[in-house]
Amino acid sequence: MDYDKLLSLAADLGYGLLESGAEIYRVEESIQRLLWAYGVQEAHPFVIPNCIIVSMVTPEGRSMTQVRRMPSHGTDIDLLECFNDLCRHLCVEKPDLDEARVRLEAARKACRSYSLPAILASYFMGTAAFALFFKGSLRDGLCAGICGVIIGLVVSALGRLNTNMFLKTLTGSALGSFAALFMTWAGLGEHSDCIIIGAFMSLVPGILFTNSFRDVMAGDMVAGLSRLADALLTAVALALGTAFSLGLTRLIWGV
Amino acid sequence: MDLFLPVLYAFLGSGGFAILYNIHNLSGALICACGGALGWLTYLLTGPVLHSDIAQTLAAAIVISIYAEIMSRIRKCPVTSYQLLALFPLVPGAGIYYTMEYAVNGDVSAFLDSFLHTVGVAGALAVGVLIVSSTVRIWLGRRHHA
Repeated sequence: MDYDKLLSLAADLGYGLLESGAEIYRVEESIQRLLWAYGVQEAHPFVIPNCIIVSMVTPEGRSMTQVRRMPSHGTDIDLLECFNDLCRHLCVEKPDLDEARVRLEAARKACRSYSLPAILASYFMGTAAFALFFKGSLRDGLCAGICGVIIGLVVSALGRLNTNMFLKTLTGSALGSFAALFMTWAGLGEHSDCIIIGAFMSLVPGILFTNSFRDVMAGDMVAGLSRLADALLTAVALALGTAFSLGLTRLIWGV
Repeated sequence: MDLFLPVLYAFLGSGGFAILYNIHNLSGALICACGGALGWLTYLLTGPVLHSDIAQTLAAAIVISIYAEIMSRIRKCPVTSYQLLALFPLVPGAGIYYTMEYAVNGDVSAFLDSFLHTVGVAGALAVGVLIVSSTVRIWLGRRHHA
């Protein structure tokens, strides 16, 4: 068997899983299972949120390692389900490595993504619902939806420029809450706090926070701490962006 | 009835964000939305017994996690997919906002109060998720892979 190919396959599978926002233990375990399925007993994957290291010893006693550098990424459930499924099938069926590679590429291609209007509609619906959820009126819900669309536009525009999460959140929350305060001032919205909180929900790092704790509890300390730092930074960016807008509008309109 | 209107909003909110996390099948989005509604229902129903929103959040997080574990077994998909969005209504977005507002206003004691409370809620959320996932892992006798 060509162990170079096997190792590349395992590392790429792990890369796809990590890119989709899978938990660290899931990535490590999937790599390990795949290598075990192909008869490599000595497999040692090590994964942190921006790096994958897979080391293994072939049955002939040769040791091999590959590293994948992971850029910052979001959460993509469709990709996660595709790759998780793929891993399960590969481990059971054990197709030859070329076919497995073809299936890996196919899984990545089969993964769909939404168009911008669909994403903006999702922002609208989510933020509007959460403004109502936090005891806003129907008009507040509408305003929050508009702020959500603004945040969605800002985040996807900055995403194209490859900016980091901190800047995206900071700009998104500043513009979103500025729009909320403006609409309240103009008389469209009634409670600026409900509107801002609703719009907030699209940026809040709650998931990141929970995942970081999960990683720590699973024993992946480095991964957990780096995700925790990420979550805290995002929360700070969120608060700073809104604070900036609140301060600015107080200067302008004195509200 | 007004009391339970937020449950509907939680349903819409959790479902609404499904597209942001690139969930493509309708059933997946519906499962998330139902999870969100279920979580908030638990939060509201445990209110008269527990009298503390931190404890209520903990209870709701546990219920959501159990629900997500069951759904992931049925659909053979990672648990995260369903938990992620269902937890949204419990995330202390309002807490972060008011904490920040007190900080801007320079109201230090209200800021600290609100900050610690927000951390408490976030902690309860994480602990609830962990209790269930750890228990499931012990029960299965290994790190799960479904």
